[in-house]
Amino acid sequence: MKIPRLLQAILVLGGVYGGFVLVFDVILEQVIPSSLLNMYMFFVVAGTYMVFTFSEESTEQIVSPIKALVEDPSKKMLRNVVFVLLPLFFGWFTYQQIKPSFEAPLELRTIHPAPPAAVKVFGKRYNLLTLENPFRKFEKEDPEKFASLVREGGDVYVKNCQYCHGDKLDGQGPYAQGLSPVPLNFQDVGTIAQLQEGYLFWRIATGGPGLPKEATPWLSAMPVWEDFLTEDEIWKVILFLYDYTGYQPRSWEHE
Amino acid sequence: MKQFLAVIGFSLLTIAAFTGYSNFGIPRIEPAPPPKQEKIDLGSMTMDQFIALGDRVLNGKGTCKLCHNDLGRAPMIKQIVPNAEKHLTDSRYKGEAKDLAEYLMESMVNPSAFVVAGFGKAGSNDTVSPMPDVSGGSIGLSEPELLAIIAYLQDSAGADVTVEIPTDAGDVAEEEEAEEREPLEDPLEIAAEFGCGTCHKIGEEEGDLAPDLRTIGATRDREFLRRSILYPNAEITEGFEEGMMPDDLGDQMFAVEVERMTDYLAGLK
Amino acid sequence: MVLLFGLLFVPPEVAGLDLIGLDGGVAFAAEDAATEAAAQADVASPYQPAPQLTEKDYPTFLGFNGRIFVWIAAQLHLWFAAFVLAVPIFVFIIEAIGMKTRDKRYDDMAYEFIKVSLTAYSLTAIVGGLTLLGLLVFYPHVMTYMTSIFKESMIFYALIFFAESACLYVYYYGWHWLQGPFKKWVHLTIGLLLNAVGTLLMLLANSWLTFMMSPAGVDAGGVFNGEIWDAMHNFLWNPINLHRFVANIAYGGSIIGAYAAYKFLSARTPQEKAHYDWMGYNANFVAIAGLLPLPFAGYYLVAEIYAYSQQMGITLMGGIFAWLFIIQAVLIGTLFLSANYYLWCGLGRSEGGVRYYKYMKYLAVVIVAAFLVWFTPHTLVLSNEELKALGGPYHKYLGPLGIMPAKNTAVNIMILMTYLSFLYYRRANKIAVVTWVKAGNAAQIALFVMACANIFFLGIYHGYFTNTVYKVAASIPQVLTTLLVIVIATVIDSMIYKNAKEVAPQRWGRVPPRSQYALFLLAVSFTWLMGLMGYIRSGIRQHWHVVDVFRDNSPDAFTPSLGYATNVISVATILFMAMVIFVFWLAQISGQKSETPGFWKEPGQ
Repeated sequence: MKIPRLLQAILVLGGVYGGFVLVFDVILEQVIPSSLLNMYMFFVVAGTYMVFTFSEESTEQIVSPIKALVEDPSKKMLRNVVFVLLPLFFGWFTYQQIKPSFEAPLELRTIHPAPPAAVKVFGKRYNLLTLENPFRKFEKEDPEKFASLVREGGDVYVKNCQYCHGDKLDGQGPYAQGLSPVPLNFQDVGTIAQLQEGYLFWRIATGGPGLPKEATPWLSAMPVWEDFLTEDEIWKVILFLYDYTGYQPRSWEHE
Repeated sequence: MKQFLAVIGFSLLTIAAFTGYSNFGIPRIEPAPPPKQEKIDLGSMTMDQFIALGDRVLNGKGTCKLCHNDLGRAPMIKQIVPNAEKHLTDSRYKGEAKDLAEYLMESMVNPSAFVVAGFGKAGSNDTVSPMPDVSGGSIGLSEPELLAIIAYLQDSAGADVTVEIPTDAGDVAEEEEAEEREPLEDPLEIAAEFGCGTCHKIGEEEGDLAPDLRTIGATRDREFLRRSILYPNAEITEGFEEGMMPDDLGDQMFAVEVERMTDYLAGLK
Repeated sequence: MVLLFGLLFVPPEVAGLDLIGLDGGVAFAAEDAATEAAAQADVASPYQPAPQLTEKDYPTFLGFNGRIFVWIAAQLHLWFAAFVLAVPIFVFIIEAIGMKTRDKRYDDMAYEFIKVSLTAYSLTAIVGGLTLLGLLVFYPHVMTYMTSIFKESMIFYALIFFAESACLYVYYYGWHWLQGPFKKWVHLTIGLLLNAVGTLLMLLANSWLTFMMSPAGVDAGGVFNGEIWDAMHNFLWNPINLHRFVANIAYGGSIIGAYAAYKFLSARTPQEKAHYDWMGYNANFVAIAGLLPLPFAGYYLVAEIYAYSQQMGITLMGGIFAWLFIIQAVLIGTLFLSANYYLWCGLGRSEGGVRYYKYMKYLAVVIVAAFLVWFTPHTLVLSNEELKALGGPYHKYLGPLGIMPAKNTAVNIMILMTYLSFLYYRRANKIAVVTWVKAGNAAQIALFVMACANIFFLGIYHGYFTNTVYKVAASIPQVLTTLLVIVIATVIDSMIYKNAKEVAPQRWGRVPPRSQYALFLLAVSFTWLMGLMGYIRSGIRQHWHVVDVFRDNSPDAFTPSLGYATNVISVATILFMAMVIFVFWLAQISGQKSETPGFWKEPGQ
């Protein structure tokens, strides 16, 4: 039996929606954010509309049952039922949307806020546009020295950072669960792999309080490390972060 | 016409959808306002702002009020302009100033050009001023800052302001500068930072309004020295007045600086 | 006098958006340099450093918000300018096609296009004048400074503007006069001249605005070195030139498409319907042809912005503007979807198109999927519950879709699929007669499969398994793959369908009204999108008139939030639409004649 076009369209939409929920929430165990799912579905609806209406025949098949529902005298009963249910459904939906809940409002975090052109830490002014890791050069010039610097950076990390960022640098340290926003996961391709070392220096040295306004609401518990670490220690720990995760810092060389 | 309205309606709906999405569909972020200009922008300064700058320098970086206060260590600031004309024509006047502004400038960079009676260095018979050249040394005011002070002095004494705001921006520091400094290592730098040498003899500085610190370690122990830095009025050395030394150094100095200073002084024997 | 005219037609770009300081962020380092340099400025130089203004230097006038006034006027000017610069480009091409094929329909269509743009031309000048007025009233010091540097090029601009007008009028009014074997050549040459002059105008105006973004030829204090070429040939000039040139073509196509769509919907006779359907199709073709390379021109521009200043680059792509690109993604997705939908609807024009109906759903799935990837933001908006369920703000599977390699891959796939839609449309009514049809089709399929595999490989391997330098670099071979496939597939396809039989006559006019609304959607989205991108291009200058040289100290130096900016853009779009409707209406009434028997004296009485 051939499924009516209108039902096909509805099934496609339901299927895609269910598919997203099934794949992300159940199979992959990573819930799909509802804000994103709504936008996804909006464009899936647009795409479905396009496929089902680009030809006259198909449009006719989609429209005719709806037309019949509204105009056909023989469908009076069904019409009355639909006309009662639809407003009720929208009323219920609207109520669900606006009823007060205990859920805190959605918060946005700009993960990589734009850095200032220069930053004042350790009593000096650093130009973030040109700031480079002074130890990076040893990677090529003196690999042995580089390895020992990375080791020292590792010590700094273990003594200071791993409590939150985790011993695997995955943001799952012993204290991580108690923090919101949770500590960054450096293993993620979207974090340090996207950034320059100067950016990391800025973020480490000035911590949560040093974030620009545009990155709020931002209650980051990241300490202002310039008060606890020396400049060299910060550079070393940056070496360690990249070394351990295997990422290369972003560079801006114009090729 | 119906087609026309339909098309218009459709277009307006489209625009409304885009606008609605931009306003409500994405998180609202207010961009940060433009940063305050850090450097004092002399070119865009009004005279009132320039005068206010003078006031700030006088109270802050210039450390003028350390002596020019009602303790009688130096002439009162508000007396300077009213008496200037008299001083310019005084037979003891050794400077080259022609008018008020020049006189004020001279009195800051070459204080000994004229010493108000009773305020000279001990034993110099009012020929040498105890005041340092404020454009150099530990105070180091820039020319625009000096001019700002002159403007402030003229203005607050009710005289016409005759200085012009310099167009070539010199190095004018804001007060924040001090707050964001890092702890200093060298005790002499610390002394310079806080202007100790203006009154004390320390290192190369030859102040004579307060006890000589060059061999202080021989007579005072660490506890006494630390206390004297933090609470200068707790015990006053004989021959010196109470209330002369600023008592807020504890708030201004880093703890490590107090320690370094104490160590340094205790070691001066 | 000449100077006066020069000023009168300062295009909005120079100013408008650009002078308006939009802002946020900290940039003190540059100011140090600026003051130092100002101190050292050669006293003998006839050029002044950039003035340091205070709020008082920005006049207020009857409570008008100067920035919004200039913003809207400049944006209107920009839209009209884009339109009147683009139309002659494809009018020239269509006329040439008509001359080659000796098909008079092309010549008539080209004439109708240029007729529409003629009225728009004077509106361009009017809103340009309005922009200039706004700048002189609200930003006098900025204009003084800009004029002191660009005075020669502004005079030149005025002269070229006369030349442009002359060419346009001869081209338009001489259209029917210059027909025939030799005269047509003369006419085409004038058309070419018109385009050359128009493009030159755009280049000049672009140099003023790119100077404000990436100043050159001036020292840190803004003292001009006297070499105007240095100031014009600044870092972002060529990237902007390219991007605008391509975008103008796509934009002009979309506006003409909307015109045709409206004429189609209100047409009364089948002939009229057929004519405007055909015109709409051609306009849409032009728009898509411009749209396909546009993302690449955009990437080039952004790459150059990064290369010029990382701070500008990060301001652009991170922070507050990051969300702007999500809006942009929605809009560009809308453009692609509506362009595709229009093509699919067009399959119904011929009986042969039915054969391909079944494939459209697969195209739709791929295009929508690619679009969803493109749309996925880097920063997800999460509710607290979702945050807890995910264990952090990172989504293991959606997170990686948020970064550039995923988006580059998606956009290339989207472009390829749109091109495929077009190929299907081309084939709709044809049956190939060459003997190697199977082999040809197989070759094309292989080509597409290989291209997709290559694009995926480049995107995934270089995007996620190598370091960042390659991430950016990988987008170039991806783009080349896409462009190469489009070229090769077009060649193969035109060979396969050489002298092909028609299944049934192509029935122009047989499209549903829905498809015409797709054209409107295209035009409106395009207009709005241009406004949005104008906002960000100007916004990344932050609180500077001229970046790092000339600070904006007006009360409006702040960077508007996205909501604020989009409201302004929407108002401007509505104003623009109203003016465009006026232009279309003029084009319509110019062809109408009212018979008024008895009104005029009969001759000889």
